[in-house]
Amino acid sequence: MESAEQISEILKLANSKKIPVIPRGAGTGLSGMAVPAKGGIVLDLSHMNKILKISIEDRLAIVQPGVVYADLEKALAPHGFFFPPDPASGTVCTLGGNVATNAGGVKGAKYGTTRDYVLALQVVLPDGRIMRTGSKAIKSVSGYDLTRLFVGSEGTLGVVTEITLKINPRPPVTTTALATFDDLEDAGRAVSQIMHSGIIPSVLEILGRHTIVAINQNMDLNLPEVDAMLLVETDGYTREEAEYQMEKVIGVFNNNNPKEVKKARSLQDAEELWKARKSAYAVLARIKSHFVLEDVTVPMGKVADLLKGVEEISRKQGIQIATFGHAGDGNLHPQILYDGYDPDQVKRMEAASADLFKLAIDLGGTLTGEHGIGLSKAPYMGLEHDPVAMDVMRSIKKILDPNNILNPGKMALDG
Amino acid sequence: MEAKYEFEKKFREQILQCSRCGFCQAVCPVYGATLRPGLNARGKMLILKEIMDNKLDLSDELIETLFQCTTCASCFENCPSGVNVPEIIRQVRKDMVHIGSCHPAFKGMNEVLKKHPNIYAENEAEDFDREKNRKAEYVFFVGCVGLYREDESTEATLELLDRLGVDYTLIDEVCCSGVLEDVGYRINESLAGKNIERILATGAKTVITGCPYCYRTFNNKPQYEELREKGVEVVHVSQFLKDFEFGVRTDKRVTYHDPCDLGRHCGIYEEPRETIRKIAPDFVEMRHNHVDSLCCGAGGGVRGAFAKNSIAMARRRLEEAEEVGAEVVLTDCNSRVHNLANAKLRRQKFRIYNTTQFINELLDQAER
Repeated sequence: MESAEQISEILKLANSKKIPVIPRGAGTGLSGMAVPAKGGIVLDLSHMNKILKISIEDRLAIVQPGVVYADLEKALAPHGFFFPPDPASGTVCTLGGNVATNAGGVKGAKYGTTRDYVLALQVVLPDGRIMRTGSKAIKSVSGYDLTRLFVGSEGTLGVVTEITLKINPRPPVTTTALATFDDLEDAGRAVSQIMHSGIIPSVLEILGRHTIVAINQNMDLNLPEVDAMLLVETDGYTREEAEYQMEKVIGVFNNNNPKEVKKARSLQDAEELWKARKSAYAVLARIKSHFVLEDVTVPMGKVADLLKGVEEISRKQGIQIATFGHAGDGNLHPQILYDGYDPDQVKRMEAASADLFKLAIDLGGTLTGEHGIGLSKAPYMGLEHDPVAMDVMRSIKKILDPNNILNPGKMALDG
Repeated sequence: MEAKYEFEKKFREQILQCSRCGFCQAVCPVYGATLRPGLNARGKMLILKEIMDNKLDLSDELIETLFQCTTCASCFENCPSGVNVPEIIRQVRKDMVHIGSCHPAFKGMNEVLKKHPNIYAENEAEDFDREKNRKAEYVFFVGCVGLYREDESTEATLELLDRLGVDYTLIDEVCCSGVLEDVGYRINESLAGKNIERILATGAKTVITGCPYCYRTFNNKPQYEELREKGVEVVHVSQFLKDFEFGVRTDKRVTYHDPCDLGRHCGIYEEPRETIRKIAPDFVEMRHNHVDSLCCGAGGGVRGAFAKNSIAMARRRLEEAEEVGAEVVLTDCNSRVHNLANAKLRRQKFRIYNTTQFINELLDQAER
């Protein structure tokens, strides 16, 4: 696939024959979005990988959907600019996938997620019509916000064929620190107080006890086996700016009974501090044959409650759950570890997932902060969205895709 | 139920450990050149899982996928789940050869080795005007590409060794088909035995290989155990050269391509660079270097069987040399020189050499 016109022809044909069409980027999604659950045509957009324009004066980049996130980063770097969402799969995932899933990453607290950067789209609708939404202007309140409707729509409403993204100047200075807490309550309070301090760190990550223990069992990092570890990064345009923010954050840590606070003196130091966080996923991925990586998200003040709740669920369902994630935006990644060939463990995993979703909603949060609903969370949509909201979503789907050819079976839109 | 294939018996758990995150896609040279997800390590692991779940059978239909892997090990280095894809691929290919599903190019090479002492079906090996099989301190083992395809480079390497006063001999070497282990065949023990016999007959205590794959084979394969038992050390020429001074320098901007067989497979990254820094003060790294080095597309049988894609991979590598403004691209493997030189575009003005050949050329120029 190389153009919107080609995709339009495919969709016209598929629509007339009622063949499902599943748009696909790099296939790195974590909720089964690109899985052709009902068969059909998988539309691989990775060949549409051209960066069409970078305009620093307009503060935007125009790209095709198959451009890999890291390739845009590489193209923006010489200008001192970046596209901030920074998903963990950045070296692989495509910008089209980022738009379809409204992807986020470690910098969500300060810089938001993909939706905060999409200015305009070109979209092919299920009937083959080609539409442009939004504009190249940074501000626009012209008509319904169709751009945002398509961001995070998981390929259920149209196929995005061109994306106009707002880009940011990259703050050149960062500082990094790490704090450990024997008591989860202290860590939770520290997270809340950082927000009260008026500082928004560019990164505020948390590792829970089970994750720390798992890292120690598999690597030689000799981490203190505490309830929680917080990794924080502040950024700025001058050293003073970044340091000022970090001092405030460290002050908060020190007021909340930390076991230890370490501040990086050099880039090398910073890399050392990042090691535990960066190794978490790979360590947990090797413990059992299968895992589910959830991304429940709660208001920032409830992060400690969520962590505590996850541990209770782990005990109740008798299954290993290790948690890490983005404390700065309340988005945690409980990783449920299980043997997928053991039906009993599969059952426990499913029950634990259901409990997790309920817990997140009870805490005023959401099923998913950055991975999306896809197939795996579709059964829980009703938990978060009331019947009226579900009805509105399904009505929108019906208007744009009356034959339900685009990514059917996802997001509980089939009714 | 008893596993149907050897790969399942040996690697079932590892294949299941693949979490399909797709991180390998960022580094897979075959994916990079083709953008086909099925050719990436994740795609291959998914296919193998389907086979283990009895949804697919190994068959000719899978040749294009399973034989199209350079075994460069970038995926393994970057796999969060630690899946050793190159080892798995090697075993699957053995299973495929066993059931008669093999790429015809390799079937042909294996047949050729029954009649000829090398994979190129050449009868006369270049003797480089040197007495072979004599008593010497070192054996220089050239390898097939250096003997039959890149003989100019080999001649230059030998001249360099002469200039450095190294007491070495060549032997009547044969291809033991070690390289065909990557594409489903086994080392020919009797041919390996001939190499061992001829090496031992020279009384040399050290073998210097020009070929990184031969280096791996001699050092790791059980068929060459006897060499190791008799205290014969095997080094690659890039390791051997690192302690020499050459007394020449170039003003040109030089970069280095890590051969996968030397780098990711053997961890030899620094010795070649130590040598190059001595002769090239303007040494620059390409964007992907050391363990992240981009594969040139020649290995794992891909050059032989999927030439077009192999060249596309080499072109991607050379774009990185262009990016850093290199005038000279050095590497330490005849096979890499061969593939990269084939892929070079006319507008790309840099030259591609083995480090040995480049040093020898500098010495030639200094003498003139």
